[in-house]
Amino acid sequence: MNDAERKKGIRQTALIVTAIAIAFYVGFIMIGVLRS
Amino acid sequence: MSTTVADLHDHHEDHGPAKGIGRWLFATNHKDIGTMYLIFSLTMFFIGGAMAMVIRSELAIPGLQFVHPEFFNSMTTMHALIMVFGAVMPAFVGLANWMIPLMIGAPDMALPRMNNWSFWILPVAFSILLSTLFMPGGAPAGGWTMYPPLILQTGDAFPFLIFSVHLMGISSIMGAINVIVTIINMRAPDMTLLKMPMFVWTWLITAYLLIAVMPVLAGAVTMLLTDQFFGTSFFLAAGGGDPVMFQHIFWFFGHPEVYIMILPAFGVVSEIIPTFSRKHLFGHDSMVYAASSIAFLSFIVWAHHMFTVGMPLTGQMFFMFATMLIAVPTGVKIFNWVATMWRGAMTFETPMLFSLAFVFLFTIGGFSGLMLAAAPADIQYHDTYFVVAHFHYVLVPGSVFAIMAGAYYWLPKWTGHMYNETLGKLHFWASTIFVNLTFFPMHFLGLAGMPRRIPDYSTQFTDFNTVASVGAIGFGLSQLIFVWVILSAWKGSRATDRVWEGSHGLEWTVPSPAPYHTFETPPKARIAGEAFE
Repeated sequence: MNDAERKKGIRQTALIVTAIAIAFYVGFIMIGVLRS
Repeated sequence: MSTTVADLHDHHEDHGPAKGIGRWLFATNHKDIGTMYLIFSLTMFFIGGAMAMVIRSELAIPGLQFVHPEFFNSMTTMHALIMVFGAVMPAFVGLANWMIPLMIGAPDMALPRMNNWSFWILPVAFSILLSTLFMPGGAPAGGWTMYPPLILQTGDAFPFLIFSVHLMGISSIMGAINVIVTIINMRAPDMTLLKMPMFVWTWLITAYLLIAVMPVLAGAVTMLLTDQFFGTSFFLAAGGGDPVMFQHIFWFFGHPEVYIMILPAFGVVSEIIPTFSRKHLFGHDSMVYAASSIAFLSFIVWAHHMFTVGMPLTGQMFFMFATMLIAVPTGVKIFNWVATMWRGAMTFETPMLFSLAFVFLFTIGGFSGLMLAAAPADIQYHDTYFVVAHFHYVLVPGSVFAIMAGAYYWLPKWTGHMYNETLGKLHFWASTIFVNLTFFPMHFLGLAGMPRRIPDYSTQFTDFNTVASVGAIGFGLSQLIFVWVILSAWKGSRATDRVWEGSHGLEWTVPSPAPYHTFETPPKARIAGEAFE
């Protein structure tokens, strides 16, 4: 794996896990909104 | 923020650390950041420990001795928040920062500037949290679980508590992103996932847990904040909300959080036991699957914390059996550690002693967890000192002992010097004796019916409480030996590169102390050999 590929991989992985974290944050607040 | 290690290291292969305070304020080097995490964690360990001393001094004999009941409640709340988020978690992040790049042959963490942010958010978060001790109405006193409506009675400290919890969460999430991204993208070329050391594996799983559950905690406390200040009624029954929903959401975070604090401990112990048994880890792959199973199960057991709240019988049955199921992968791990030691050429240096104590004493915490998992029994044990005994056995001779074991194990690699083995063993024996003196009697107190979170108690509970208080003060003082061992390590004999005769792995192929920059070039040639194993 060269440097460019590695940088691309790092950014892709970081974006995916950040999206998962945001989904859990928003998702659980939405559960609260729907239940209250 | 999106700067990657590849950017930072393109033109800086040959420079050393920056001079002065700037080295630490603007640190991007994983070793510097790891050191800062570890020092921060130790500081918080002593602050949280001082609060434990207040609690145990008050409880040494019946009656109110030193503090007001409100302040006592603040101490239990703050002690828990500081120990969980300020001591145990940052200690493991510190170990991860130091060791993961060295273990996988990476030059640094993948996102070094984000790494800097992850750390420096923490002192801000805990300064805010600790500042609440001086606010009108006092520090938060509703328990670390922050259940509404009680927590909404907190005085001026309330928004500061919520803000500091948010900051801790952001720090943890950023740290977890960094760990995942590093492990997925920065491994040495021939290091496949199943060739990774167990510490790296357990941290990868832990990081996914963090990504999933820290935002849930953040969501829960955001809703608490809006209930208090913006007129919503997520958890307020008077407005149509549901206080029990908070408990569900909190424990959906809270139970995986327990495994966030124990899986890296499993990883540390899985590194140490093979070294001092002069054998490879028995059943490496089964350990990986066991850790993954534990992580999965941790998401479906949260309501065992809530049996007394009231739930359908089928719900109780599900959460009871799902919880008991965790004993299976945990048993696999215990079996594998024992099998690793079986017929090994064992020696008992300080890291091994702490690891062995971990295996024995964590198992006690595991068994009392099984007792608590049984719904009919839990209804009796709930909110008693039996629960306090259980989770302290998991967290102190469990997580904390593993951190101590890791610190002794890797200290020569960090400092380039051997620590004083005699003092290390003294620290171990004092800690082990006092930790049992502190927490074992709490089982009996709980079974006899002593409730948690009370500053005074019936005289029938006096003897065991006095023993526990003596043990706690002894344990606290014993930790001063640890500080002395660390400080005096700089005067110890020079450590060799491999340090321990039975050690395996890439971290032992670099000099001691580990140079400021390591693995600038991936360790391609060496890893075909046994360094991975």
